[in-house]
This record gives sequence, structure tokens and C-alpha cells, in this order.
Amino acid sequence: MFHWLEKHPFFFAVGVFLVIAFAGLIEILPNFAQASRPVIGTAPYSTLELTGRHIYIKNSCNACHSQLVRPFKSETDRYGHYSLSGEYAYDRPFLWGSKRTGPDLMRVGNYRTTDWHENHMKEPSAVVPSSIMPAYRWLFTNKSDIETAYAEQLTVAKNFGVPYNKPVSMKDGSSKTVKMGASVAEAKSIALEEAKVIAADMRDQDVKDAVANGQIPEIVALIAYLNSLK
Amino acid sequence: MVNRPLEYDYTVAKMFMLTTVVLGIVGMLIGVILAFELAFPGINLILGDKLAEYTNFSRLRPLHTDAVIFGFTLSGVFATWYYVGQRVLKVSMAESKLLMSVGKLHFWLYIVVVAAAVFSLFAGVTTSKEYAEFEWPIDIGVVVVWVLFGVSMFGLIGIRREKSLYISVWYYIATFLGIAMLYLFNNMEIPTMLATSPAGETGIGSWYHSVSMYSGTNDALVQWWYGHNAVAFGFTVPIVAMIYYFLPKESGQAIYSYKLSLLSFWGLMFVYLWAGGHHLLYSTVPDWMQTMASVFSVILILPSWGSAINMLLTMKGQWQQVAASPLIKFMVLASTFYMFSTLEGPIQAIKSVNAIAHFTDWIVGHVHDGVLGWVGFMIMSALFHMAPRVFKRELYSKSLMATQFWIQTLGVILYFTSMWISGITQGMMWRAHDEFGNLAYSFIDTVTVLHPYYVIRGVGGLLYLIGFLMFAYNIYKTMSSRPVEERELQNATPMGA
Amino acid sequence: MNKLYLGGVIFAAFMLLFTYLSVSSSHGGFNGDIVNMLAVTGAIALVMISAFVVIKYVRQMQTDKASGDLADENWDGIGEFKNSLPTGWAVMFLLTMTWGMWYLTVGYPVNSYSQIGEYNEDTKVHNEKFEAQYKDITGKKLVDMGESVFIAECKVCHGLKADGIGGRAADLNHRIAAASVKHVLQNGSNNQLLGMEMPMPDRNGLINATTSMPITDAEIEALATYVSKGLTGTVGADVFAATCVMCHGADGKGVDSMGPNLKEFNTTLVTNILSHGKKGSIGTMPKFDRLNAKQKEAVSAYITSLSK
Ligand code: HEC
Ligand code: HEC
Ligand code: HEC
Ligand code: HEM
Ligand code: HEM
Ligand SMILES: [Ca+2]
Ligand SMILES: [Ca+2]
Ligand SMILES: [Cu+2]
Repeated sequence: MFHWLEKHPFFFAVGVFLVIAFAGLIEILPNFAQASRPVIGTAPYSTLELTGRHIYIKNSCNACHSQLVRPFKSETDRYGHYSLSGEYAYDRPFLWGSKRTGPDLMRVGNYRTTDWHENHMKEPSAVVPSSIMPAYRWLFTNKSDIETAYAEQLTVAKNFGVPYNKPVSMKDGSSKTVKMGASVAEAKSIALEEAKVIAADMRDQDVKDAVANGQIPEIVALIAYLNSLK
Repeated sequence: MVNRPLEYDYTVAKMFMLTTVVLGIVGMLIGVILAFELAFPGINLILGDKLAEYTNFSRLRPLHTDAVIFGFTLSGVFATWYYVGQRVLKVSMAESKLLMSVGKLHFWLYIVVVAAAVFSLFAGVTTSKEYAEFEWPIDIGVVVVWVLFGVSMFGLIGIRREKSLYISVWYYIATFLGIAMLYLFNNMEIPTMLATSPAGETGIGSWYHSVSMYSGTNDALVQWWYGHNAVAFGFTVPIVAMIYYFLPKESGQAIYSYKLSLLSFWGLMFVYLWAGGHHLLYSTVPDWMQTMASVFSVILILPSWGSAINMLLTMKGQWQQVAASPLIKFMVLASTFYMFSTLEGPIQAIKSVNAIAHFTDWIVGHVHDGVLGWVGFMIMSALFHMAPRVFKRELYSKSLMATQFWIQTLGVILYFTSMWISGITQGMMWRAHDEFGNLAYSFIDTVTVLHPYYVIRGVGGLLYLIGFLMFAYNIYKTMSSRPVEERELQNATPMGA
Repeated sequence: MNKLYLGGVIFAAFMLLFTYLSVSSSHGGFNGDIVNMLAVTGAIALVMISAFVVIKYVRQMQTDKASGDLADENWDGIGEFKNSLPTGWAVMFLLTMTWGMWYLTVGYPVNSYSQIGEYNEDTKVHNEKFEAQYKDITGKKLVDMGESVFIAECKVCHGLKADGIGGRAADLNHRIAAASVKHVLQNGSNNQLLGMEMPMPDRNGLINATTSMPITDAEIEALATYVSKGLTGTVGADVFAATCVMCHGADGKGVDSMGPNLKEFNTTLVTNILSHGKKGSIGTMPKFDRLNAKQKEAVSAYITSLSK
């Protein structure tokens, strides 16, 4: 039979395809049936957080940082509760990473704060002596792209039913509504409101001035995202 | 015995040989920079503070991986296909004008896509999925290039004279199908510019941005089904295609066993795809899926080793050739490294071992004993064998090749041993608790101890790069060295001193 | 012995040395951790198997001869022998496949293993072991334990010497800095330092009993000096006595449910900070829910010991 296939390239190719496609089905389909339901306490990303997430991706922070706490005592001691599938329901793309040159960031919002991030992103080795993380100083001057984040919010709300402008339940029994603008202008003003909260805890005068003038430096959005990781 | 002298047309092969060399240099140079950035973070500012956005580790890392995979390796795959394909199918590209133009178009579009990819990664346009970083406009380019590759491959097969397909051709066909399937599914994404706001605005935000069709755990599952098999169909299958042609051809030996080729091939095709979950051990994908991946990873040793053993046995009784020819040495060592990394991989796929190895430099070590020792060595061997034949010249310098062999072998050994130590150190320190049951080390303590190993790895990588530059120089000089007759090129490659 | 085998032995010895180096340089060694042991066993197996299998084939290159029937076909001059499968390979392939099928259907079929279950058990064992061990430690031991927590958790912000890394976090070698006192006096404070909602009023609510007026800028300066110097000296002592003792006590060591200790760190203060975080003029200190009660107590003892 194999000899025959080797003389008939078309059927050979079909054979190869069937053999390789088979495993994919068994591996992937069952999970699609169940895995993307959010656990309680998981809310969609706000406009500014999503912008920050884009900045995280743009700078490939995932090259060094994972976002996946594995169920080992040593990891839950260091990073907090192990990850649950439902916590990632709104993560498109997922950002688990595959290399921990730096620590896991899945719950970094629990144990680092705005001012710390500000110092750290400006000059990591100033806060953590002999850190090998690069300094990200351009984030303090580059301006954020709120519009693209807004376009993404619209896309996921429409196509995947991500609950923007709808109450989602939180762990303590309360509920939370993440706002999405009805227009680009509104989205920007929502993001600016969020940015003001972050900027208030920051030191860099240029950043504070920029936010006061209605602009959002990338660092502000990035910190909003990092703080949201809980 | 001697083949009917058929004028094969190597135009397209030559073009891809050029990009193999150039993109190899680019990709590995960036690799060396990355390695030294981890050892000496000041190098992130290599071009000054202003340009640090483009030269820091995180921006450059995807450039390295994509340059060596989609640049160096794929070019090598294309170059060898356009060479090997004609010869084992006994048909010349020159016989079909159509195929010739498809081949050239394939090359030029490839160049366009590579340029776009480099530009976009420097600009930070990425979707973050490893080895699938490109945004949708480039995805479309990739798909078109791939279709052209398929057309020219099946076109050539269609007009072949040799009725039955040689082993290498099986593997090239599998490469084409595998990557096509994987790439399409992993890049299902919706461009966000299609969105409309309640206020009626359209075309909001950047036009090239997209959002993945899958989320969270599902996205991870598809990504690593892709990522693992991108390794399979990029770093394994087409490289096996190469060794099945170039080793017997260069040594003049017949393949040890057809049956072994057959079982290894179908075994590899069947088993490989199940193992992707070993990138997600202890993650949030279901336990049974992880177990399945571990089990299949272990089974995978055998079909992988099948090809390597077949090659080593093909050299049975030929030690004098191994000793005499640096080109054969490269290939024998390549299959050895192939065995090494296909045993290392399954060991790392065992859950308890992965608990330590995952996220650490041990994985990076595993990656590079595969890509440097196997992929890199094999592609260079292929080009060493091809260059005299496409240029009809003898290979410029044998001694240069021999020196290169030892420099690079040392480089690979330094690379993986240092990452081996570094990875196990890191993994164990992360897990360590002290006498009070508290974590024994803060994260940064686990980083600073790695410094010496990062330096050693950098040196190893630098040696490898130097070797690669010697290779490039050797190929370049070959183009102007002593001309040779076609009949001198039957097996062992003629080499100058 | 054949040169090759010698080479293999040397290679294996080298790799064992590297493995040994990595284990010992991890400063942890095996640590009684089964996972560590398995990983190292894997590494060793990898080296041994690779080295000796490759040597086997290289020996064949040196001593054996190619033989067998050639197939009729031939591609670009490449022939194929019709040799049968190498026995070792074929047997291993069958064995691993059988083992795999057994593993997935009989050994560990779907749902028979749960990584979370395994985690829960490990954690339980771990906690029991250590709780028994540190249940009654006090004094120096407690401080040592606290230091170990500090190094793993706190030094990223407060620095190895707990000096706050040039003002980026609080200097824990001193109870409180003048700038912080000033900031609190001007703006008040609401950090649940007493473990409950109990804000400290801002300057408008701080009435100097002597003048019956809200405190002045000059008085704030004086208080800042006085409090930051550990309530010593004369400058500001009068204002403190007239304004602050009600809540913070005459010695500044705090009054239950009224005001925290301003003179020195103590366990109550630090554990409250760890439970609720703290936001002030220096920045924001996150809360640390993931530390257990004993760890909080220990790190408090350590911090208290710094300024003693
Ligand atoms: C070259 C690798 C590297 C890159 C790239 C990198 N980091 Fe880091 N990161 C580290 C290392 C190493 C540490 C630990 C030492 C330290 O805290 O500086 C760290 C620590 C951190 C921490 C502190 C986490 C904690 O638990 O202490 C945060 C937050 C962080 N990085 C965010 C980022 C962000 C955001 C980016 C991208 C914009 C980024 N990192 C890019 C290596 C990196
Ligand atoms: C009405 C009661 C009250 C009075 C009067 C009062 N305090 Fe306080 N003080 C508090 C409380 C309660 C806190 C803790 C607030 C918190 O939880 O953040 C506090 C906190 C502080 C802190 C911050 C400690 C820290 O570690 O951040 C300082 C400094 C301080 N008081 C100084 C003073 C001084 C100086 C005066 C006199 C001018 C004074 N307080 C008067 C109730 C008082
Ligand atoms: C993300 C950074 C960060 C981490 C991690 C951190 N701290 Fe702090 N801590 C701060 C900052 C900032 C302050 C100062 C707050 C202020 O402005 O008063 C502070 C203040 C404190 C204070 C109060 C000092 C005073 O005099 O009022 C104590 C006590 C303290 N930290 C203990 C700890 C301990 C113990 C840990 C580890 C378990 C820890 N901190 C981890 C940032 C941090
Ligand atoms: C039997 C064959 C193999 C198996 C079972 C295998 C298994 C593995 C495992 C378990 C990981 C680590 C996943 C993690 O914990 O992060 C891994 C990573 C990797 N392997 Fe292999 N491996 C095999 C062969 C190879 C070969 C031959 C190459 C290349 C030539 C290769 C390239 C890679 C790469 C590039 C990664 C890194 C993926 C990432 O980015 O995380 N593997 N492999
Ligand atoms: C000159 C030689 C090279 C050097 C110095 C080098 C260096 C590096 C470095 C420093 C990294 C990042 C590791 C980390 O994040 O910690 C890396 C990643 C990687 N390199 Fe190389 N590299 C070289 C050649 C190659 C070649 C030739 C290939 C492929 C053909 C390759 C494929 C990869 C891959 C796939 C990764 C990602 C690994 C992962 O995510 O686990 N490299 N390389
Ligand atoms: Ca990776
Ligand atoms: Ca894509
Ligand atoms: Cu894999």
C-alpha cells in the first residue's frame, strides 16, 4: 500500500493530511466546548487597561514574563493562587508566555503598586539592584493608542459577547460594570478618567502634565494594565 | 549507474541560497546580541537611549526567532527543495516556463513578506503568539507565498519522470501540508478596523490590528498545537528531508533500510501532532490532555530516532569518510544532535521534570541543541554540497570548513551546557523553601546567580556566529574558485585546500 | 578500552559534573524535593543513553560493512537497501506504544489524576510540617524567620538593608521620616493602621490645646522633627503634648483604638500594615494577604528589631 502511495502523490498527500489532522481534532475540540467561561470575579478589560495590554504586547514583555501560576506550593507562595481557566476568558491573545526570565505577572497587581512600577520601568536596576530587565524610558513619552483598544472592545463585544456595559458579578457578591464608550470621543474620555487616577499616584511631572492636558503617555496605560492583574 | 546528464535549472535555488546565508547572519547576529543583553543589560542601549525602544531584548527577541525560522530555516528549505526536487524527480525546472515563473514569483514575494515582517517587528507590531507574531496583512502574504511553494512543488511532481517519490519528497510534502494547516488555524483573527461604534464611526484605530478568535486556555491550546508542530514541520520534517538526500548523496552510500524510513515517516506523522500539550503542562488545560501529550512525547522518541539511526547506519563501514570529510562530519554530528534533542524533549515532557524545566533556560538549551546542532548544521551541509554543483566550481576551502566545524561544535556545546546548568539552577531555586518553610530566594536572587552562564552562552553563540561567517565566506569564495566538470560532482564534493 | 568508549565516558563524566554543578549552585540542592530528584535523574539518563547509543553506531561505522539487497529503484544515484528494521529500535517502538496505550487506558485513564488534588495534598503536608516546626518559635529565631520572609518578599521595595532604596519606599530602620509626618499632619491619614477604619484628621482637625487653634505651619515643622527623631529633643515636644497625646499617648507609643505607635514599630502596627497596605507621601505599600499569621508576626519582629 505504501509503495502505491509513493507512486500517487495526490493520495499520498491526502494520507499525510488525514494522519496529521486527526490528532488536532482530538486535542483541541473537547476544550473548545467548555473552557472560555469566565469565573466569578473576572471582568473585561477597561479601555485604559486594554490599551496597556497592547503596550505590553507591543514591547513583548511576554518574552520574559509568564502569566500562569502553576499549582505548586513554591509558586502560590511567590505569586498567589494558582491560575484558573476561567480567569483568562477575556484574554485575546492569551499571555502565558513560555520563559520566566523575569517573575510571573499573573497577579502582580496584588503586590506591586503604581509608584513602584513607575520607578521600576524607568530604571529597573535602581529599585532592584542587578536587575537585568531593560529600562523602558520611551514609555514615558510615547502616547497611547486608545482608538485601537476601543476598536478591539467593540469587536469582542459584538463577536464574542464580552460583557461591556453590563454588570458582572464579583467575588464579594457585588457587581461591576465595565464601561465602553459609544463613540471614539467618549472612549477617550473614559480612558482619560482612568488615567487621572493612575497619574495621581505617579511622580514624573511630565507624565502628570501630559495627563492634565488630556494626553495619555504609554506608561500610564501600562501601569493600569499591570494593576489590573490580580 | 551515472544519471543521464540533464541540465537542471538552479536559478531559484541560488536565490534562496543567498537569503539562507544573509538571513542566517542577521538572525544569529541578533541572537548573539540577545544573549549578551541578558549577560550585560547595558547592551540594551547599544545604539543609545533614543533607539533603545528598537534594540532592547524584548523588541529583538521575536526578530531573532522569526529571522531564524522564517528567514534562515525556511530559505534553506526552499533552496534545497528547488535543488533536491528536480534531481530526485528527474525533471528540470527549465522544462516548464510556468513553473519557472511560479518559482521566481515565490522568491520575490517571499522577499517582500520578509521585508514587511522585519519592519513590522521592529515597529512592535506583533500579536505576541510565539512563532506566529505577524499581524493579519503579513499572514496573508505568508499564505500566498506558501501557496506558491505548493504550486511549484506539486507542479514539479506533476511533470516528474521518476515515478515513485523519494523519501525526501515525502518529507517536503508533509512540510507543505503541515505548515499550511497549522498556520491557518493558529492565525484566525478578526481585524478590528471592521468594527463600528454605536455612534456610527468606522475604521477606528490602526488598520493592521487584529484580535484572536480564541481566548485564554483555548487560545493557548491552539497556539501550542501550532508552536509544537511548527517545530515539527519547520525544524524536523524538512531537515530530515535534507539529510535523507545529502548524506547518502555526498557519501555515495545507499540508505540503510527502506522499511525503517517508511515506519519512521508514518510514525512521525502520526505521533507528532499529539504531543503539543507538553508546552502546557501544569497549566489550565485539562489533566487528561496533558497526560496524553506526555505519553505521546515519549513514544515520539522512536520515530525520531528511526531517521537518525537510519542515517548513522547508512554510514556503516565508512569511518574513513567521516574522518576525511568535514562535510560528512557536519551531517553525522547533525543526526547525533537530532537524537540528543529528541531524547531531551521527551524527558522534559515528563510532568515532574517539566515542573523544573518549564519557563527556565533548560528549555532554551534544548531549543538550541536542536536548532544549532541539527537544523543549522544540516542546512549548512546542504549548501556546502549544493554550492559546487550550482556554480560548477570546487568548494573554496576544505580547511576553512574543518576549522568552522570545530569552532561551531564548541559553540553549541558551550551553549547547551551553560543553559543546562542555568536552567536546573533556576528551576531548583524557584522551588526552594528554607528551614522555616518560607521561600528561600527572592526572584532576583535566582537571576543574579545566572550571570556566569549567560556569559558562557554568549561566548558559545558568538563562536557559532563566527563559524557561520566562515561558512558564508567559503560559499562566497566558491563562486569564483576553480571550475569543475559535471562528472567530478557525482558524490564527494570537490574541495580546495 | 576502545578510544570511543573512553570518549563517551569522558563526555558522560563531564555532563555529570555539569549536572552536579547546577544542583549545587542552586544553593538548595535536592532539598528533599522529589521533583528535583526526578529532573536530575532525567538529565543523567539523557546523557548516558545518548552517549552510549551514539557510540554503538559510531562503532559500526568503524568496524562494520554496509550490506544487503539493493532495491531496484534509485534516485539521483541514491540507492536503498531492503534491510529489515533494527531489532532494538523495533522492539522499543512496540514497547513504548504498548506502554502508552496501557498508560492512557489502564494506568492513568481520563480523570484519574488531578494536578489540583496533588497540589492540595502537597500543600497540606508542607504546611503541617512547617507549622509544627515554627509553632512556638520566639526571640532570635522569630527574627531570623522574619528576615527570611523579608528577603523573599519585601526587599524588592525596601531594599536589602531595609533603607527604602533612596526614598522609593519607607526606611524601616527608623519608625518614620519627617516628610511622612508632615504629609500626614497636612492631609490626615486613613490606612487602617489600627486594623479598622479610624482616620487621623488633617491639619484642620488637629487643635493645639494651648492655642485652641488648628496647628500652624511652624508647629507642623516642629512636630515633624520631633516625631521623626523618635520623640526626642525639645523642639515640638510642647505641641505634641498639647495636640497628639490624646490619641498617641504621652510617650507616643499609641493608645488602643485611638492612635498607632509613633515611636517604634511593633507587631500590631506592622501586621496591620501587612493586612491593609499603606498609602502615604512616599508611595503605596501593597497588602500581603498571602503571608500567614506566623509569617506576619515574624516579619514584624524582624522590622521591630531593625530600629532597636
Ligand atoms: C530581559 C528580560 C525582561 C524583559 C524584556 C522585561 N522584564 Fe520585567 N523583569 C525582568 C526581571 C529579571 C525581573 C526581576 C528583577 C526586577 O524586579 O527588576 C523583572 C521584574 C518585573 C516586574 C516586577 C514583578 C515582581 O513580582 O517583582 C514587573 C511588574 C515587570 N518586570 C514588568 C515588565 C514589563 C511590563 C515589561 C515590558 C514592557 C517587562 N517587565 C520586560 C526581566 C524582564
Ligand atoms: C483623633 C486622634 C488623633 C490625633 C489627635 C492625632 N492622631 Fe495621629 N493618628 C491617629 C490615627 C487613628 C492614626 C492612624 C491612621 C491610619 O490608620 O492611617 C494616626 C496616624 C498618625 C501618623 C502616621 C503613622 C504612620 O506610620 O503613617 C502620624 C505621623 C501621626 N499620626 C502623628 C500625629 C501627630 C504628630 C499628632 C499631633 C499633632 C497626631 N498624630 C494627632 C489619630 C490621631
Ligand atoms: C511594592 C512595594 C513594597 C513592597 C513589596 C513592600 N513594601 Fe512596605 N512600603 C512600601 C512603601 C512605598 C511604603 C511607604 C508608604 C508611605 O508612603 O508611608 C511602605 C511602608 C511600609 C511600612 C511602614 C513604615 C512606616 O514607618 O510607616 C512597613 C512596616 C512596611 N512597609 C513593611 C513591609 C513588609 C514587612 C513588606 C514585605 C512583607 C513590605 N513592606 C513590602 C512599599 C512596599
Ligand atoms: C521527540 C521530539 C521532541 C519532544 C518530545 C520535545 C519536547 C519539548 C518540550 C517538552 C519542550 C518544553 C516545553 C516547555 O516546558 O516550555 C520543548 C520546547 C521546544 N522544543 Fe522540543 N522536543 C522535541 C524535539 C525538538 C527538536 C528536534 C527541536 C528543534 C530542532 C525542538 C525545538 C523546540 C523549541 C523551539 C522549543 C521551545 C518552544 C517555546 O518557545 O517554548 N524540539 N520541546
Ligand atoms: C548564533 C547563535 C544563536 C544565539 C547566540 C542565540 C541566542 C538566543 C537567545 C539569547 C534566545 C532567547 C532566550 C531567552 O529568552 O532566554 C534565543 C531564543 C531562540 N532562538 Fe536562538 N540563538 C542563536 C541561533 C539560533 C538559530 C540558528 C535558531 C533556529 C534555527 C534559533 C532559534 C531560537 C528559538 C526558536 C528561540 C526561542 C526559544 C524559546 O522561546 O524557548 N536560534 N536564541
Ligand atoms: Ca518560548
Ligand atoms: Ca497572525
Ligand atoms: Cu513541543
